[in-house]
Amino acid sequence: MQKLAPDIQNILEAKEVYLKFPQISSIKYAIKKVETSKCKSACPIDTDVKAYLGLIAAGKFEKALAIVKRDNPLPGICGRVCVHPCETECNRNEIDQPLAICYLKRFLADYELNSTNSTNSINSTNSNNSIAIIGSGPAGLTAANDLVRLGYKVTVFEELPVAGGMLYTGIPEYRLPRDIIKIEIDAIKKLGVKIKTNTKIKNLNKLQKQGYNAIFIAIGTHKGLKLGIPGEDKFEGFIDCITFLRAVNLGEKVEIGKKVIVIGGGNAAIDSARTALRLGSDVHIVYRRSRKEMPANEWEIEEAEKEGVKIHYLASSVKILGEKGKVVAMECIKNKLGPPDASGRRRPVPIKCSEFKIEADTIIPAISQQPDTSWLSANHGLEISKWNSFVIDEETLATNIKGIFAGGDCVTGPKTIIEAIAAGHRVAKSIDRYLNPEVRSEKREARVEFEVVVESKDKKERVLMPELPINKRKNFKEVELGFTEEMAIEEAKRCLRCGFCAECSECIADCDKRLVALSIPEETSGILLRVPLDTNQFPLNGGPLQGKLSRTDAKEIPVIVEPITARVISNLCRGCGDCEEICEYSAPKLQEQENGVKICSIEEALCKGCGVCASICPSSAITMNHFSNSRINTLSVKSVDEKKIVVFVCNWCYPMAQDFKKLDLNSINSKNSINLIRVMCSGRITPAFIIEAFVQGADGVIGIGCPEGECHYVNGNETAEKNFEKARDILYTLGIRPNKIKLERLSAKKPEKLEKIIGSFINTIR
Amino acid sequence: MPMGIKDIVNRTKAYHCLDCGKCTSVCPISLLKEDYSPRRLVQKALLEKPESLLKDEFLWWCLTCSMCDEICESDVHYTEFVRDLRAEAHKIGQEGVYAHNGTMQSIMRMMTLSPTLKQNRLDWLTKDLKVKIYPTDSASPTDLLYFVGCLPYFDKFFTNLELNTLDIAKSTIKILNHLGIEPILMANEKCCGHDLLWTGDIENFKKLAQQNIEEIKRTGAKKIVFSCAEGYQTFKQEYPKHIGALDIEVIHISELIAENLSQLTTHNSQLKVTYQDPCRLGRFCGIYEEPREIINAMELKLNEMPKNRKSAICCGTSGWMNCGTYSKQIQLARLTEAKSTGADLLITSCPKCQIHFKCAMNDENTPKEAKIEIQDLTTLIANQLNKRKKDVNE
Ligand SMILES: Cc1cc2nc3c(=O)[nH]c(=O)nc-3n(C[C@H](O)[C@H](O)[C@H](O)COP(=O)(O)OP(=O)(O)OC[C@H]3O[C@@H](n4cnc5c(N)ncnc54)[C@H](O)[C@@H]3O)c2cc1C
Ligand code: SF4
Ligand code: SF4
Repeated sequence: MQKLAPDIQNILEAKEVYLKFPQISSIKYAIKKVETSKCKSACPIDTDVKAYLGLIAAGKFEKALAIVKRDNPLPGICGRVCVHPCETECNRNEIDQPLAICYLKRFLADYELNSTNSTNSINSTNSNNSIAIIGSGPAGLTAANDLVRLGYKVTVFEELPVAGGMLYTGIPEYRLPRDIIKIEIDAIKKLGVKIKTNTKIKNLNKLQKQGYNAIFIAIGTHKGLKLGIPGEDKFEGFIDCITFLRAVNLGEKVEIGKKVIVIGGGNAAIDSARTALRLGSDVHIVYRRSRKEMPANEWEIEEAEKEGVKIHYLASSVKILGEKGKVVAMECIKNKLGPPDASGRRRPVPIKCSEFKIEADTIIPAISQQPDTSWLSANHGLEISKWNSFVIDEETLATNIKGIFAGGDCVTGPKTIIEAIAAGHRVAKSIDRYLNPEVRSEKREARVEFEVVVESKDKKERVLMPELPINKRKNFKEVELGFTEEMAIEEAKRCLRCGFCAECSECIADCDKRLVALSIPEETSGILLRVPLDTNQFPLNGGPLQGKLSRTDAKEIPVIVEPITARVISNLCRGCGDCEEICEYSAPKLQEQENGVKICSIEEALCKGCGVCASICPSSAITMNHFSNSRINTLSVKSVDEKKIVVFVCNWCYPMAQDFKKLDLNSINSKNSINLIRVMCSGRITPAFIIEAFVQGADGVIGIGCPEGECHYVNGNETAEKNFEKARDILYTLGIRPNKIKLERLSAKKPEKLEKIIGSFINTIR
Repeated sequence: MPMGIKDIVNRTKAYHCLDCGKCTSVCPISLLKEDYSPRRLVQKALLEKPESLLKDEFLWWCLTCSMCDEICESDVHYTEFVRDLRAEAHKIGQEGVYAHNGTMQSIMRMMTLSPTLKQNRLDWLTKDLKVKIYPTDSASPTDLLYFVGCLPYFDKFFTNLELNTLDIAKSTIKILNHLGIEPILMANEKCCGHDLLWTGDIENFKKLAQQNIEEIKRTGAKKIVFSCAEGYQTFKQEYPKHIGALDIEVIHISELIAENLSQLTTHNSQLKVTYQDPCRLGRFCGIYEEPREIINAMELKLNEMPKNRKSAICCGTSGWMNCGTYSKQIQLARLTEAKSTGADLLITSCPKCQIHFKCAMNDENTPKEAKIEIQDLTTLIANQLNKRKKDVNE
């Protein structure tokens, strides 16, 4: 294998963009991609975590937001209350603490709130199909969002006066402010989704008869389960957690006593406890197992304890004690942990004679919930499980009745928002496939789990979330205050970039290193990509295209992403060494072949892509990726249908020149139109380009390069000088006045000169 | 088989091919590029999908040196076969890789843009060179026309090879003057189109041919002399084929001198020379002996290369196209062959031979076994005339 200079080797080894060795067939840069990172594969909706973290680190908040929104219609909500399995999987867990992936998402949503332009706009429906969604929780909202974007007419029916499902009626305001829910739902409405609140669906047949072509049941789990212990139905003072939270969240009056017991260990239990606390009660939680087994989020438990909730672990409720028809206390028994049960958690086993009593006037069971299916008509025909949930096809989320789908909590039992969102996405795809035969034939993408390489092991502490002080929490104000921009960037920089390529698409957007270009086969125009080889600026190194580019009309077109470098067609090389001599970067190297013949090859890592060598190679053995002779000539042919000035502009002057394109040419009093053709360096402009432009009828050719000493490729502009001189000489012999061929220097420091240059050029050639 | 190709097969007698492989055995490219073989291309036209031939990269590697034609016992005209297939291929957008990024081809196409074009192609003329410039000077129909060819352009382009191609033109005029001839030179002469023809651009080739013929008719000249092998061959053989018979006599400068050997000055030196037969002059037009007669008449020692006349190896490339590693190797081998004759000077009568050989010698790595001085036949003669003049003066 060819040995590279050590510093280059280092760059290649450490960075995500690297060079495939020429001897491994094609000479191309590759974007290192070690499959998917753990955070992404942990996320039920495959959020491009790395991508948005990276973009935050680079200060590109809007772009990061766009990445998040691509998969998630509820970023402000998820950014606050998602259970973030991504963080659990984060590789930084092995080093210090996981990335604050969730908070950073919230940061982005907050950022959007504070900036004026929202990206959502009204969609036009292009389908005759209408879809009914029952339930406005995250599952229903996500499906509605996706389907309306696909052009369907979507109506969401919601029994309650507010939309949002458990987001609104379950999760308390201090964790998830109501205006956040409202803003995100409004954005979905703005797309054209109709949400009919206060509308309980009672009959599916009727819905179908109303002309809905597909129905999505996303009714969640809103029926609290009973404790099943003596005294439960005997005394007043019971309120199940769902009813309790809903009432509080809807602003209804709820009577609870001073002493409250919440039973259970899930999020609903913790939320109920913290809510009751805020209403002024003294709160106890009774949970059967130890803290380790508690399904509620760790950080929620912590907050609850901090705020003063007393949690009795390893305790079960035995019976309710009452007086005068009212609850006064609950008898409990202590547990120890036995062998694991079906769920894998250790089963609680009561310890004999360990009963104890907790005083209470209100008891809030929060043990589990089931879907409320009581509204279904007797002959509904849907398959329902023994837990009252809908039975569906795992793959399509279709129920046993054609055209009816179900997903979210009402299928899985109480789960999480992000899983509900995933179900929403999946159902939207299924419904689209169901109604649109073309889509149906497409293959579904399979999800694959990957192994990931972690490289850096440097410790860096997680940025802490600013919170409302404990003594200011006796209200429903949001507890977590959100990151500042600096904190967000700081935190995002901790990301280890597992799997390397962030798939952020940033390599096709603008940055100032120009090494890679993207072109569409058969088309003469191309896009310059700037994948920096030597930058440590994360994440400008994604290779998201995988050889494809999506157009706005959703068609995928193949693209060629290649570095802008010189390439030698070896059997055309005469081994003269001219390139070796002219290249300022020692990229071309003559190598003796077995038969003693010398042939040149270009060390791609060294080549900066100026194309100076290509402009002087006598046998045209050198071609420039993306700036080939044929492309440049085609561009100049294309242009010269009227009398035109062909302007070859070096890449570094190009932005300025483009501005010029916008200028009113009348200001320089010219009937000529200008055709700008970009090359990387003015040294690339071989005499043939200039002559060919005249062959095609150009009226004048002007080259624009950098001033002496300012060439981005050391001396490329000197070659330009020589090439222009030669072209001028030849064209003079061909009868073209020398002043029609001009090489001008344009310093980035004085961009205003350009207008003058072209103006006076046009004047002189007339 | 598509009509175009069928036609070509018939015209060039490709169907006679016996698949004997003799062509391959003499082809300079086949020798170096193992997968190239003229025979295989012919067979492809006859047997396999002939259309694919037009997209075959090999089509552009042929030197069109005519070695194969010379040896073929079935009378297949392989070089013509290639020439015409290239024209077909060109129609569907195929092309070879032009040397110098296509500068030469662009110059040639630029010249088709008549009548807007007013070339400055004769500003190298000096007073001592006696010529009549058409249309400024008056000429008579008995005058000889000298077709200068691309020399003024080569001069502007090859600034780094110490070529001074215009020497050939100046020398030719000196010789003509010496013979008492004041030739007509056309200010509006166009490229003969040789390279466009051989790289498939028939359309522009024909334009150039027509423009040249029209201009020549306007001068009234009935006889044209050439100092380049390609221009000569193109006028003599290709123009009649493509634009009809010319009632103009076409001669090469060596023919003209060979008729006037007594007017040559002898070279009473020990100079040993060797001679490179240009393929267009030799194998195409059969002019082998005239240059040799001239050299002998000058009393120079001619050391023949082992491969001479019909079996002379070509200068390695033609048409400013696909001039790569094989060309270089052919050139170095031929130069080594020339040097090994013990000659001090390699004489050619084609400016392109000179350019190609000098280019090959231009890089530092050239072994000294392949380094030899090169001169055009006309320069050799004219220098001697000069010397003689000096001698007389002294
Ligand atoms: C107190 C609590 C706290 C939670 N905290 C978190 C958390 O921090 N993080 C997290 O990820 N998850 C949390 N969850 C879970 C999360 O809220 C749910 O998993 C998620 O909301 C389920 O979404 P869904 O769309 O399936 O159903 P839901 O959000 O429950 O929405 C279903 C909707 O359907 C409506 N509906 C029902 N029947 C009908 C009908 N017949 N006609 C019309 N409408 C009907 C309901 O009124 C409801 O609005 C919490 C749950 C609770 C209860
Ligand atoms: S300039 Fe061209 S021919 Fe010369 S060594 Fe470089 S690639 Fe080969
Ligand atoms: S001259 Fe420019 S394009 Fe050519 S090898 Fe050197 S850096 Fe690359």
